Amino acid sequence: MEPLEALARTKLSNKRVIAVMSAKGGVGKSIISALLSLSFSSSRQTTLIDLDIHTMASTKLFGLEGKVHEVNKKGIVPFSFGKLGVISLGGIVKDRYVVLPGSNTRDVMQSLIAYSDVGEIIVFDLPPGLGDEVLLLEHLTDFTPIVVTIPSKVSVKVVEYLLRYLKERGKRPVLVVNMAYFDCNGKKARPFGGMDYVKNVSEKYGLSLVEAPIDPEIEDYIGRIHEYNGVVRSKIKEVENLVGFPPYSSS
Amino acid sequence: MHEWSVAEGILRSVIEWAKENNLDSVRKVKVAIPSFTFLELDILKEAYDTLKRGTVLEKSSLEVVYKDPLFKCRNCGNTFNLNQVLGELNEVREEFGEEYPLHLVPGLAPAFIKCPKCGSNDVEVSPQDITIEEVEVNGTAGSSG
Repeated sequence: MEPLEALARTKLSNKRVIAVMSAKGGVGKSIISALLSLSFSSSRQTTLIDLDIHTMASTKLFGLEGKVHEVNKKGIVPFSFGKLGVISLGGIVKDRYVVLPGSNTRDVMQSLIAYSDVGEIIVFDLPPGLGDEVLLLEHLTDFTPIVVTIPSKVSVKVVEYLLRYLKERGKRPVLVVNMAYFDCNGKKARPFGGMDYVKNVSEKYGLSLVEAPIDPEIEDYIGRIHEYNGVVRSKIKEVENLVGFPPYSSS
Repeated sequence: MHEWSVAEGILRSVIEWAKENNLDSVRKVKVAIPSFTFLELDILKEAYDTLKRGTVLEKSSLEVVYKDPLFKCRNCGNTFNLNQVLGELNEVREEFGEEYPLHLVPGLAPAFIKCPKCGSNDVEVSPQDITIEEVEVNGTAGSSG
């Protein structure tokens, strides 16, 4: 009997759970997570939970640095942006660095889930890699993975580890290729490489693929990402459509 | 207010266990809580008594014991106790007030507690979870496992 685990399971049961993940760091998971959550929240009460407990990028993206979560009888109150709630360890430790032994990271992630007041759709922004965060989510719920990469061959090769793992676990993610191209007056420039290799990989695993462009303007929205309505956000809307809304599980 | 979530976690956990074991009545639940979380016992019991209504735990009582953690530095091997880092904890409590981080997430302890000997954060803390120590059912007592 583990009270924390029982509570975390309860929070995720009968919810639509999306996990934005990558085996590779620096590919833009947090921005994709933020934009996808905002997209979902246009129609449904959505909660973004930042499980990257060491970098806590969501607090930076939404301009929440130094702000602390309120806590009421339902648990940790998310920071609110319309129908989107954002939960981050940054709202518990403020701007303090978090250095933890590996054995504690799972506990901290599980606590964030267990003690949060969540909506009907939950988007997790995962840290890079194939560690406790993936195993914990698998243990708690049946999630839908969104795998993020950039077109560079090394990134795709690393991300393929994750794709292979997910396939073995019976999951078929949507593959988001972030920073796939730059729109030069209607012509696509591809500074991180062409799409041939990533297309081969997506075909190999039978995955839907969404290309998100580079938009330098997005930098102006760091701290107010909820106000961004540019081209990346509209491309991420495609991910929402691909994920869809199958009936909620009753587990 | 975090005590309400903790109470819910305890109840959920025992309700599931009772269901798995086909038990229809629980008499007493004994939980152990890390002392450095500074959870308020009165609020926890009030939450427990409110949330247990209509469940298999309706007639149960909650017993709480506090457990002091033991710290071991994985960098230099030093072992130390709560009293040796009480100053650090009090500073954190003063900075954050009621919702101080270890009240909400005891697993964060190594991020806030440095080894008094070498200053490392590579600190192993035991015990740090809220655990169910014992459940009494119809006159029998068993470990929660």
